Amino acid sequence: MTKIVGVTACIAGIAHTYMAKANLEKFARKEGIKIHVESQGSMGIENKLSQEEIDEADLVIFAVDTSVTDRDRFSKKEVLEVGTNQVIKDGKKVINDASEMIEDIKNN
Amino acid sequence: MVHNSKISDFISTDNIIVGMNAVSREDAIKQLSNILQKNGVVNDAVAFNQDVLAREKQSTTGIGNNIAIPHGKSASVTIPSFIFAKNNSLLEWDSLDGSQVDIIFLMAIQEKDERNEHLEMLANISSRLMDDQFVENIKKENDPQRLLKIFTKN
Repeated sequence: MTKIVGVTACIAGIAHTYMAKANLEKFARKEGIKIHVESQGSMGIENKLSQEEIDEADLVIFAVDTSVTDRDRFSKKEVLEVGTNQVIKDGKKVINDASEMIEDIKNN
Repeated sequence: MVHNSKISDFISTDNIIVGMNAVSREDAIKQLSNILQKNGVVNDAVAFNQDVLAREKQSTTGIGNNIAIPHGKSASVTIPSFIFAKNNSLLEWDSLDGSQVDIIFLMAIQEKDERNEHLEMLANISSRLMDDQFVENIKKENDPQRLLKIFTKN
């Protein structure tokens, strides 16, 4: 099963962070992809990813409008970075792009 | 559901406006800022209004589907809360999908982040806006009491 981990973060840390998280989960589920999304919002880091989950993931998605806290955790990973609005506008496309990236990684 | 603070503890029909008559995005934000002041959520509607407009300038809050979620992180906010409004006409909002807006969630957030149940409530509502069924329900319903029920159902 394909595994993706994600981080969402926006400027105010209240609305877009959580909408982007919800949409990543919604569209990954539709594609049968296992996903775990950490939110970095005004309530701090929630649903924190374990290093093991990060290491095992086929791809990392950053849906962020600001910097990712503890970005070092992802230094060895391929990352698809988008803005939160892209995920909110068309979550299906972001998940499809992620799937294509994963295919490319596997074929190389 | 990760965020399951009881929304019913914080909101009432005071948070819900049906049949607003705003003529523009700016007018809607101004009218709703005044209501937030009346509700005791902000102590300076003018300052709050300016902070919300400043956020609008950064990038649109029109998330598509005729919905906008303007929000202000502002020193004028005394308690994190929101106001939900349905406008009688569609308003231009530079939305992500190009749609005009008649459903507005104006969120009021304090400048200082502090984890609390009010923020959880706003995060919860934000996530639910990605749920097609939730959106359909709030679009169909025009009775404030029943809208309140939709928001407080977890």
